Amino acid sequence: MADLAITDVKKSYDGKPVLHGVDIAIPDGHFVVIVGPSGCGKSTLLRMIAGLEDITSGTISIGGIEMNDIEPSDRGCAMVFQNYALYPHMTVRQNIAYPLRIAKLPQSERDSRVEQAAKILNLTDYLDRRPAQLSGGQRQRVAMGRAIVREPDVFLFDEPLSNLDALLRVQMRIEIKKLHKRLKATSIFVTHDQVEAMTLADTLIVMNAGRVEQIGSPSEIYRRPASVFVAGFMGAPAMNLLPAKADADGLVRLDGVADGIAIAQADVAKGRLLTVGIRPESIVLSTEVGSGLPATVDLVEELGGSRVAYCNFAGHEVAVVLPAGDENIEGSTIWLTLPQNAIHCFDRETGLRLARSTPNGRVLRAKNLSEAAP
Amino acid sequence: MTTEALARPMARPLRRISERSGLNTAAGHVLMVLLSIFCLFPVYWMLASSFRPANAMFETSLWPTTMSLDNYTQAVDAIPIARMLFNTLVFSALSTVFQLLTGILAAFAFARWKFPFDKLVYTAVALTWLVPFQVVMIPNYLLVAQMGLLDNIIALILPNLAAALAILLLAQAMRGFPKEVMEAARMDGARNWRILWEVLVPNLRGTIASLAILIFISTWNEYFWPLLLSRTAENSVVQIGIQMFMTAEGNQWGPLMAASTLASLPVLLIYIVLQRQVVQSFMKSGIR
Ligand SMILES: Nc1ncnc2c1ncn2[C@@H]1O[C@H](COP(=O)(O)OP(=O)(O)OP(=O)(O)O)[C@@H](O)[C@H]1O
Ligand SMILES: [Mg+2]
Repeated sequence: MADLAITDVKKSYDGKPVLHGVDIAIPDGHFVVIVGPSGCGKSTLLRMIAGLEDITSGTISIGGIEMNDIEPSDRGCAMVFQNYALYPHMTVRQNIAYPLRIAKLPQSERDSRVEQAAKILNLTDYLDRRPAQLSGGQRQRVAMGRAIVREPDVFLFDEPLSNLDALLRVQMRIEIKKLHKRLKATSIFVTHDQVEAMTLADTLIVMNAGRVEQIGSPSEIYRRPASVFVAGFMGAPAMNLLPAKADADGLVRLDGVADGIAIAQADVAKGRLLTVGIRPESIVLSTEVGSGLPATVDLVEELGGSRVAYCNFAGHEVAVVLPAGDENIEGSTIWLTLPQNAIHCFDRETGLRLARSTPNGRVLRAKNLSEAAP
Repeated sequence: MTTEALARPMARPLRRISERSGLNTAAGHVLMVLLSIFCLFPVYWMLASSFRPANAMFETSLWPTTMSLDNYTQAVDAIPIARMLFNTLVFSALSTVFQLLTGILAAFAFARWKFPFDKLVYTAVALTWLVPFQVVMIPNYLLVAQMGLLDNIIALILPNLAAALAILLLAQAMRGFPKEVMEAARMDGARNWRILWEVLVPNLRGTIASLAILIFISTWNEYFWPLLLSRTAENSVVQIGIQMFMTAEGNQWGPLMAASTLASLPVLLIYIVLQRQVVQSFMKSGIR
């Protein structure tokens, strides 16, 4: 059990910077998920924690001890690789026992730990098979077994589920969560999958281009994305991001839309360029024709439980989640209401979220507001 | 693809999967059988001739009309063939073991580490492969002579302790081995020595076995280097022994064929044993 501190960690390959100074503090026993687009440096960071990659500058400490120059096997970390990285010539039993054999544990201790891990992971029937004779999910479990027998302080997972099919992914996700509940070891989990990220994480870290964009609980990151990048990255279908401009006194005007949207006490100077974000599922379909803002439906995606309509709204493409229905609405005009408390405002230049007081929860129609404004 | 082709896809001929067409396979088999006969016939002829008595040596019947072991007794009397076979075996086995050993160690260094001038050194090793034996023959001979090792098996082995082919082949195989598996071993606490012998080598069995066959057979068949060094029959290899039946007065075909047969048997045996290992390792290797 140990906490983990990453302090101003930078990484360059041949002078080319890849990580530009990462600061993360992870309390003991937390489950942290790192998400970010491909190439943003997630694996690099994980491998630096594991000790498989040199640290260009900064420090990584585990349990209060600086680990920069410590051998990977002495850091108390176990890693689960994306392609499992099992030893092809060893049986499942030998694979799981390998770290114990190297640690020169007595045979009886080794056996009992392997048996126990096999029981937890449902591998008891496969102990004498080789990796080539296992399915993807079973191999994944062997890789986890090899990690847990070492009883590490920190678990590192680099996209461990991405080679599995959708159903197995969900199963293994739940098993990993259960395992964490049971072992309570600090865990860092890298993934591309939003659902995995949201469901597994105590703390979610969003990275972009070698920097940490935001650290927070999943709901915090979903509800209050700190930047345009996080807003667009988390959530599917992605948040609608529209160009806008600050108008008089807390009023925001979307480009190409005459009506303003009131943002409670938005403390922005008039004329400032903004990006306004609203989630497709937050947009409300007006019940009466003519109330709200008109949008033309270009395309509808059927999701079973709901539908996503991609609309042309004052020249912007906007996705809207609609309740399931059979009528064909492609090409027709729908009327949308943008609830004020669902609107996120970002500075267009810096991409950062604008500070504002908590929304008052009142749903204000854009049209009514423009009349109310001075 | 033009839009025209897209518009009428049925205009293209629909070919059957060629593996299913019996005619092609049959033709292929006939060709392969002919080629095998072409390759195996000389070997068979050697075997058959070795059992023909001297007066029937130039018979053209496929099967010897009379069989005798005279040629074998003659061959064994004329040259110390058991001793020579033993020498050849020691020479080939030690060369194989050492070439594999040095090859594995050198290849691991090339495949796993970056060090100054690593590419240059690798290229230099590769280039030594291109240097023909005739170029290094005289320097090697002088060196061995100065060391007082003429007519000595050790001298035969010395220049064969390391070879570029083994290093290149093994380095390539190691580079192809998944990096994550080695990293996993490192996380599990294995250092380089363990990673090499407990993770890499067991998984490169196929390559190592093929390489062993290659080295063993080529060493077994070596002729010039032993010819240069050996002074006495007791200290030479079997290929020199075979040559002793080819004299200025004419060739003693019978004993020559008998000696050749005896010289081929061990190679055949080793090939069969190791070949099985090779095939097996190919079947088993389901990495990932
Ligand atoms: N050995 C290396 N040499 C040079 N550059 C590297 C090396 N390894 C990674 N990089 C670069 O570092 C950056 C981050 O790579 P990294 O593998 O950490 O990305 P990632 O976030 O894990 O991406 P993915 O989601 O695709 O796995 C990439 O731009 C990559 O090109
Ligand atoms: Mg990665």
